[in-house]
Amino acid sequence: MNKEYTPTIGIEVHVEVLSNTKIFSHSINGYSDSVNTNVNIIDLGYPGVLPRVNKEVVHKALKAALALNCSINKKMHFDRKCYYYPDLPKGYQITQNETPIGFNGRLKIDDDRYIDIEEMHIEEDTCKSIHVNGKTLLNYNRSGVPLIEIVSKPVIKSSDEAVKYLESLRELLLYLEVSDCKIEEGSMRADVNVSVSKTEVLGTKCEVKNIGSISNVKTAIEEEIHRQINILEQGGKIVPETRRFDSKTNTTVSMRKKEVGNDYRYIPDADIPYVILDDSYIESVKKSLVMLPNERRKIYKENEISDVNIDKLINNKPLSDFLDKFIDKNINLKIASNILLGDISSYLNKTGQKITNTYLENKFIDIVNSLNEGKMSSKNFKEIINDCLEKEDTLENILKENNISLVSNEDDLLIIINKVLEENKNSVNDYKNGKDNAFKYLMGMVMKETKGSANPVVVNNLLKDLLSKDVN
Amino acid sequence: MNRLSKEEVLHVANLARLELTEEEIDTYAIKLKEILDEVDKIKDIEVLSDEVMISPNDNICVLSDDKEKEMLTKEEILKNAPKKYADYIEVRGVFE
Repeated sequence: MNKEYTPTIGIEVHVEVLSNTKIFSHSINGYSDSVNTNVNIIDLGYPGVLPRVNKEVVHKALKAALALNCSINKKMHFDRKCYYYPDLPKGYQITQNETPIGFNGRLKIDDDRYIDIEEMHIEEDTCKSIHVNGKTLLNYNRSGVPLIEIVSKPVIKSSDEAVKYLESLRELLLYLEVSDCKIEEGSMRADVNVSVSKTEVLGTKCEVKNIGSISNVKTAIEEEIHRQINILEQGGKIVPETRRFDSKTNTTVSMRKKEVGNDYRYIPDADIPYVILDDSYIESVKKSLVMLPNERRKIYKENEISDVNIDKLINNKPLSDFLDKFIDKNINLKIASNILLGDISSYLNKTGQKITNTYLENKFIDIVNSLNEGKMSSKNFKEIINDCLEKEDTLENILKENNISLVSNEDDLLIIINKVLEENKNSVNDYKNGKDNAFKYLMGMVMKETKGSANPVVVNNLLKDLLSKDVN
Repeated sequence: MNRLSKEEVLHVANLARLELTEEEIDTYAIKLKEILDEVDKIKDIEVLSDEVMISPNDNICVLSDDKEKEMLTKEEILKNAPKKYADYIEVRGVFE
């Protein structure tokens, strides 16, 4: 890329909202069901029908708007965006132009980096048209599927930043359960606006529409930057236009000219009265928001959970939700995350169980504390994991039933430790000469000698004690 | 100017997906202008608020429950379609 040019990128994201029924009718919100089965007269745009606004969609949209730190339009209405196309039988799409539910928000994508959100509005999807052998075929299952559109300000500076923005947005909407964000199935789609300039003044922008995957967004932006710089370098001018991304050739291609700006003739939809979001409702939704991925990351990091494990936890919401119940319970979260992602995940994968359907929760604190204090080794935990997840019983009883008790008696342990030190004088010398690994080796030998039945915390302390005496 | 330009008429016709003859273009250049001038009078009204008024009354939207009902059968849907192809409604081909 030519370094003299700075790209500026804005992104519009459409996501399908998870709800039972459509935004303006009582038909099932199920686009992928058998063709033309989830349809009624409102979705078909029959004359004289009255749209009703689905409460659940407003609720989910409000959650998203609040989580994106948007200001809220407490008195909002819907507008008609007029254009003629077979996928839109009414001749207009019902959307929010004047009073989007949220505006002036921002989304954190990195430690010190926020992307400003211009606005977020609710609208209906159009029906799905497919083109076969010169025919256009329509499936109305998608007509009226609820969407929210999130429009960023043109503040994104690179394709990598665009990817980060989309990933953060996707993570947020998944955590809020606003959408399943299945990009491959079209429930999350992105349009990107790209321009390049050598000065402070923004260049002419082109829009690349309906990009179906995050990696394609990256390629499309890079290609578009490249294309625009080439035109400018050859003394040409950028024509403002709508393009589409061709994933076969990895290039952007000019599309048929569609209506722009005023041509959409937005007018308020008088069929739908004002929707009022009162303060107490907004406040209650705000309070009900789950802890968002960014806050979770921060807490995990403070508790010294490794970066790899943080990513794994964030990508596994049920486990992350489970761990969050114990954040203020004063347990070692690092150990907790290790067993959740290790033995417990293996058990859940193997059995197909959900963590919430097991008996783990009532004894999780005891398990983590026992591991932390050495009352139970990780080997012990492996042995009793089935019982821990399948039995309501306490950890104490389960350990008893399995005849597991770790030797913590110092006198007994000292005999074994002294024997090990006697037999491994080289390692003792290595330790004295500053080789820390020798300590781990000696520790391992004691555990081996006791067949894993020694309390590792007690052994650790005794061993340190003895060796330090030896050193001095 | 008491008429729209030919380009303006064709632009509006295109938005409405209408094909016009030369004679019709000539007619609408005058008639559309008359209509627009009539509607323009609304600009003379002194507006006291910036808020968009969507209705003369202050009715509030009663939100509806997220429950399935009132769906049509596939047969009912396709019965009213001009043409069908498998379970799809078929219309004249348009291409993106």
